[in-house]
Amino acid sequence: MTPRPAIAAWILATLAATVPATARAQSADSAAAAPAHRGVPGGYDDKPYLAGVFGRILVGGYVEAQGVYERADGVTEEFGFVVERWNIFTSTQVSPAVTVWAELEFEEGGEEVRLELAQVDIRLRESIQVRAGMLLLPIGRFNLAHDGPRHEFTARPIEATDLLGATLSQPGLGLFGRFEGARGVLTYEAYGVNGYMDGLLLDSPDGTRLPAGRTNVEDQNASPALVGRVAFAPRGFELGLSGYHGAYNVYRLDGMTVDDRRDVSIGVLDVQARVAGVVLLGEGSLVDVEIPSALVGINASRQSGFYLDVSRRFARGLIGGLAASSLTAAVRLEAVDFDRDIAGDSVQRLSAALNLRTSDETVIKLGYARGRSRDRFNNAAEDATLSLGLATYF
Amino acid sequence: MPRRWTAYAAPILLAFAVGCGSLMTTEPNPDDLLDGPLGGLSPGELAAFAEGDAQFGKPFSVNEGLGPIFNNVSCASCHSGDGRGVPENILVRFSRGGDLIVEEGGPQLQDKAIPGAEPEQLPAATDVSRRLPPPVFGIGLLEAIPDTAILALEDPTDQDGDGISGRAHLVTAADFVPAHEPGGGAGPRLGRFGRKAQVSSVLEQIVTAYHQDMGITSDFLPDENRNPQAGDGTQAADRVGDPEVTASVVRAVVAYVRMLAPPAPGAMTARTARGQELFSQIACASCHVPSLRTGASPVPSIAGREVAAYTDLLLHDMGDELADYRPDRGADGREWRTTPLWGLRVMKDFLNGEAFLLHDARARSVEEAILYHGGEAAASRAAFDALSADDRQALLEFVESR
Repeated sequence: MTPRPAIAAWILATLAATVPATARAQSADSAAAAPAHRGVPGGYDDKPYLAGVFGRILVGGYVEAQGVYERADGVTEEFGFVVERWNIFTSTQVSPAVTVWAELEFEEGGEEVRLELAQVDIRLRESIQVRAGMLLLPIGRFNLAHDGPRHEFTARPIEATDLLGATLSQPGLGLFGRFEGARGVLTYEAYGVNGYMDGLLLDSPDGTRLPAGRTNVEDQNASPALVGRVAFAPRGFELGLSGYHGAYNVYRLDGMTVDDRRDVSIGVLDVQARVAGVVLLGEGSLVDVEIPSALVGINASRQSGFYLDVSRRFARGLIGGLAASSLTAAVRLEAVDFDRDIAGDSVQRLSAALNLRTSDETVIKLGYARGRSRDRFNNAAEDATLSLGLATYF
Repeated sequence: MPRRWTAYAAPILLAFAVGCGSLMTTEPNPDDLLDGPLGGLSPGELAAFAEGDAQFGKPFSVNEGLGPIFNNVSCASCHSGDGRGVPENILVRFSRGGDLIVEEGGPQLQDKAIPGAEPEQLPAATDVSRRLPPPVFGIGLLEAIPDTAILALEDPTDQDGDGISGRAHLVTAADFVPAHEPGGGAGPRLGRFGRKAQVSSVLEQIVTAYHQDMGITSDFLPDENRNPQAGDGTQAADRVGDPEVTASVVRAVVAYVRMLAPPAPGAMTARTARGQELFSQIACASCHVPSLRTGASPVPSIAGREVAAYTDLLLHDMGDELADYRPDRGADGREWRTTPLWGLRVMKDFLNGEAFLLHDARARSVEEAILYHGGEAAASRAAFDALSADDRQALLEFVESR
């Protein structure tokens, strides 16, 4: 299907969702009609406003918009408004064992439209399920659960976006499942995917950057990559470990070996925990990229990054008549080292947010971030961002 | 009992409003920057400066034309903060006698290559010169110093018997430099840029840097730099049609570099004044001429002003101590252009606290750089060595305050 009819179909579905006679707005509490959650909290099957439109098709979405005031070394870099994204998602229970999930994302004011998710799940048993389609790659937790209304900051973690390339989705095929025991739940995902492509070197002027090589709709080098995540979740806590490995360059062409095979390898450790009302959310990544010897000193082969969000909700019911309203205070510490072999080419940021939630699904975010980036000479530049954003499911 | 949400939000907003200036970062002191514009530029000139700044800082990806062979990905990648480079990005220039051996990859070694291409290897039996990327600020001021002012400082046969015999380096501008461009046109032109004053025109310097350092072709040099040591695969690896940047991009960078201000020198103190006195007394100032005056310029901020660059822009024999034994156009292997002594006050701030002085970064302090001087500067070096420790320190503090 070409993108244009696909977009039209989505728009029609959205319009239909706004018609009161057909749309049955569904609160988080009444989402019981949806299948039991098999992904991470906030992931593809944990959307509060999934509601039936065309019989078995459930439709929902979210929107994020914000005003941004950003300065770097005392100079205004950005002062304006942006609709970060408008996403619409569906879930279709084709049969008791078969579910189709999809998410379409509009970014940059509609200039960038992409199919972020289009996966078919076939349940053989709870511990063995087959998945195929356009998959969210299980490289860390954030890539699997990143909806704006769920998170406390207007900006996504640099580790996820600028290091790993979130949101990272690619065609793939594999297995997933869950095992429930007395001590908690163990989940796994393991897929073959197209993997990163050589844009991470060829399209990136700033050195090695995985996001520049994330779009690989047809496997450019005919060499699939392997990606997987295992997570253990005792009560109120989840610890995940992800791994990725695959060639990114074209090393075989017309049956001939035209280059050395060069791989990307990634390891990510992620955590989600709730302790005494305080929510911890974070992940740390190590990236290894094999680069040609003639690019040593220009392109990095070793990178790393992490983020840690700490938040606490308080003042519940502070807005009269809105029992679900509350405030959330949050702090994020994050850092990315784009080249671990030199002193510079890195960024560090500390962010704080005070958010007003009118309900679990809608949040007004007031945020401040202070960062320091270093060029490859290790010269530092200070930046600061003040943002006021709104994100809501619909 | 729930409180009104304004009770929480109001103090936060107030705190931001009050502390907005420092919370939102502050501008560094423009006197301490290497990439600030000259004072008094018009809005139009500042717009051109901003455009050139963006182009100067723009890194090229492979799919934007980088390579096939190259040294670095942008102008800014070699010049830290628009100042000098670091040993890791030293350029290697090579030739054999006066022969630039273009057929062997001369005169500059491109030791990086895009995927599919082969980088150059240094051929055997060549004369090699390692060159640290120099600062780029103040170039417009040096360009505007009239030839007559520089030629008036020449003393090639040491007529005055002071042991110093600077001479101008007359060169031929590249064919693509039009006659109306400073340093351009047919016939000998006064070289004033490069470690051996081997280039007469800012335009030529920048076009060549795009071509040789980044492998970026332009309207001025539209044919890709070749690696003659490699086969056709290297040429075929470049996947962008030529020219890869337009003349307007190059012109923007030329305008930017012309309008870059040197950082302000430090305030003169009694101690640095003493150092300045010694600097003249031991004849450092005979080559590192404290000030020259610019002539006419289409940029009013450049025209008719004193330039405290501490250079005469002439070639001097620096002896075996600094010789690279590699001729470069009309300069022999012992000759170097007098390096401007400006920006030293803040240079280390852009080099992780290091100095990286002299053409190949061999000196890590001003004192070490002085002690490497030989040839025409041998007497000054000896005089420096004979100063009392306190006087030596005063002289060093003066130089490091420029």
